[in-house]
Amino acid sequence: MNYSKYYPIDVLNGEGTRCTLFVSGCIHNCKGCYNQSTWSPDAGELFTDQVADQIIQDLNDQRIKKQGLTLSGGDPLHPANVEQILKLIQRVKRECEGKDIWMWTGYVLSELNKKQKQIIELVDVLIDGKFVKDLADPSLAWRGSSNQVVHYLRKASVNE
Amino acid sequence: MKPVVIKRDGSQVPFNALRIAEAVLKASGAARCKGVDAFAIAAEVETSLVGQEQVDIHYIQDAVEACLMKSNHIELARIYIEYRHDRDIARERKSHLNSEIDGLIEQSNASLLNENANKDGKVIPTQRDLLAGIVAKHYAKSHILPRDVVRAHEAGEIHYHDLDYAPFFPMFNCMLIDIKGMFTDGFKMGNAEIEQPKSISTATAVTAQIIAQVASHIYGGTTINGIDTILAPYVTKSFDKHLKTAQQWHIEDAHAYATQQTEIECYNAFQSLEYEVNTLHTANGQTPFVTFGFGLGSDWQSRLIQQSILKNRIAGLGKNRKTAIFPKLVFAIKDGLNHKVDDQNYDIKQLALECASKRMYPDILNYDKVVEVTGSFKTPMGCRSFLDVYYQKSGLDKGELIHDGRNNLGVVSLNLPRIALEADGNIGRFDELLNTRLLLAKKALDTRIERLSEVKASVAPILYMEGACGVRLKADDCIADIFKHGRASISLGYIGLHETVNALYGNEKHIFDCATKQQKALQIITRLKQATQEWSEQSGYAFSLYSTPSENLCDRFCRLDAKRFGVLEGVTDKGYYTNSFHLDVEKAVNPYDKLDFEMAYPPIASGGFICYGEYPNMQHNLKALEDVWDYSYTRVPYYGTNTPIDECYECSFTGEFDCTSKGFVCPSCGNSDPDKVAVTRRVCGYLGSPDARPFNEGKQEEVKRRVKHL
Ligand code: SF4
Ligand SMILES: [Zn+2]
Repeated sequence: MNYSKYYPIDVLNGEGTRCTLFVSGCIHNCKGCYNQSTWSPDAGELFTDQVADQIIQDLNDQRIKKQGLTLSGGDPLHPANVEQILKLIQRVKRECEGKDIWMWTGYVLSELNKKQKQIIELVDVLIDGKFVKDLADPSLAWRGSSNQVVHYLRKASVNE
Repeated sequence: MKPVVIKRDGSQVPFNALRIAEAVLKASGAARCKGVDAFAIAAEVETSLVGQEQVDIHYIQDAVEACLMKSNHIELARIYIEYRHDRDIARERKSHLNSEIDGLIEQSNASLLNENANKDGKVIPTQRDLLAGIVAKHYAKSHILPRDVVRAHEAGEIHYHDLDYAPFFPMFNCMLIDIKGMFTDGFKMGNAEIEQPKSISTATAVTAQIIAQVASHIYGGTTINGIDTILAPYVTKSFDKHLKTAQQWHIEDAHAYATQQTEIECYNAFQSLEYEVNTLHTANGQTPFVTFGFGLGSDWQSRLIQQSILKNRIAGLGKNRKTAIFPKLVFAIKDGLNHKVDDQNYDIKQLALECASKRMYPDILNYDKVVEVTGSFKTPMGCRSFLDVYYQKSGLDKGELIHDGRNNLGVVSLNLPRIALEADGNIGRFDELLNTRLLLAKKALDTRIERLSEVKASVAPILYMEGACGVRLKADDCIADIFKHGRASISLGYIGLHETVNALYGNEKHIFDCATKQQKALQIITRLKQATQEWSEQSGYAFSLYSTPSENLCDRFCRLDAKRFGVLEGVTDKGYYTNSFHLDVEKAVNPYDKLDFEMAYPPIASGGFICYGEYPNMQHNLKALEDVWDYSYTRVPYYGTNTPIDECYECSFTGEFDCTSKGFVCPSCGNSDPDKVAVTRRVCGYLGSPDARPFNEGKQEEVKRRVKHL
């Protein structure tokens, strides 16, 4: 898996203060996509163990407290990404107590395959659906266009 | 034939030897030297001019000097030259005065008209104020202030703030109004005797009038320290009134009725107060700089006031729901009261977060840190001036700790980068020069104290006789005593610490990443602090170190220094100097690291400080904003959130307008018509609407370069 950008402190993608990873690889071809440069699975850099270690460390930082990890892209559920994403999420759940996971995907929740669903089991908040330019509204919270849905999958998530 | 003399202004007069003799006599009087034959010298000069048809006045003066030197009156020659120099300066000022007045009449002097973001130079009352300011400044420079202070001010070595008001007028800078004392003891305003208000709506109405009066008698900010607790008793009065009505009319649930009516009344009362403050036009030709501090009250009445203030601000002003610029709101956060989830007023902190995300204010005061840094809790006077601890003596014991009714006497700021430039990178030389300049600043500050030393209470009845300053003096009483023994503060300001260390150590490493620069910066500020402490000990006045906000100064000092030392990378190349100790606005760091960087300074510059963070739109993520507020709680006393809240009424875009050198432009439709946009930016501790009145060039440049910290 490649990733195009990693933000150790982010407040724009999900609730609270977060670590955010934009992975590479997306097949949705949404018109008006802000992240076209992330479409190719080869974009950006290789997601190595070191990057994963860094994320775990940042999530556990005691000085700048994080609410959790955000996975966006590109699409974290792109077939080429699912394996690594699953591994990463499992690590977070294991090594970072109380951190939640937010995910943005261009797929729709009801249409996910088995592998993808296995990931969603561990995700707290999922924002799904393609970006539709005609339905775009900058005043929406967490959503680019009104067709997308914010699924609070695990109500028991921290602070909720 | 006698030659024609061409005077400085170009006019021509016939030569008159008597004039020369007079000037020489005057000078010899001053030099106390006898035996000078002034007429002989005049005759000699006259002879030297024979054969010339026209002669320039400078030439004549040079000839007089030469004659004096030749006849061995060296001391006299020196005095004459000095006398001539003074006359030249006076003349130059006079013509400067004229050109400033011309600029006002023709509306051509942009820097004068835009000098204060809070003044609209196009309207007549403001123009009258500006004219008074021009004359007051001229008079103070020519007749009140010591010559070296004026020279240093004009050269941009120091800045004698607010010269358009003081020392010509015996005015002071900013204050905490003693509203509580005024309300409880009653007071007179104009011809009216005002007694204690009987409801919250009357209380806020009277408060607005007091603000208008006070702000007309001082030139800096007017603060109400803890308006929630001060006005809480009047919420009770309203409640009692509504309860009585309910009982009179046999309303079933009288208590619920009274509660609801009181809530409505309180909300409306604070709405009117906000309108009032934003539409006020004081005798100073401006909307008053007003600050409301609140947040510490825990009773239901105080809570209701806190909620009313915040909800009104969130709702916005007028039909466009514009962000109110005044009053500045400062919300106190205190552990055990409203800091943590389980604290009883935590809900109000949430409201404050929402308000900050939508309207930028409130800034926050972290209770414990304010106490640690300044000795006790208080709201800043104006936007950032903090008083120290003071006990009002009563009998033998230590007395009562008071804040309300106290004030700041004014500021003189040092141009720190200038000293570094003059020292040419030599640290030892810098330290020496700094010491000399400190003496000069002290001398300038002393003139402020001096000016107020023999003034009678009747110059400002509202302040000194009716209780705003917490005293009730008689008309003929002298006001000097209420500023002594640390009751008032008087401040040394400074600017451009960032550029100073760049000038000393070069521009390779940013101070954020350079221990040497950080160490030196702290040492400089510590030296300033030490100076103010020495002055306080010597004089009994509370000299304090104040981090100057510098709306104009950031532009002026830099411009003057660029002219003299050239455009130097990292120092004069940006067109502005960085605000006090702040991290340079271009440095991209997260707000946490910025706080860590800046937290060392408020404890030293305890007479005035504020820290900011630049945020993206946080309206959907109050939790993240709260994370930073909470982080700041144990680090800095006073923190402000800058977030993009601009609005376009043309295309209904909200967010951040593009800041260009020409002005502010809607990024979505290109609109920049001041009537159809609302742009809100932090200017100098206060908010401003730069779409209506543009910033000065340096400030515009600084705003343009601000980077987000997230
Ligand atoms: S799913 Fe997201 S990244 Fe992919 S094309 Fe659509 S908007 Fe762009
Ligand atoms: Zn627009």
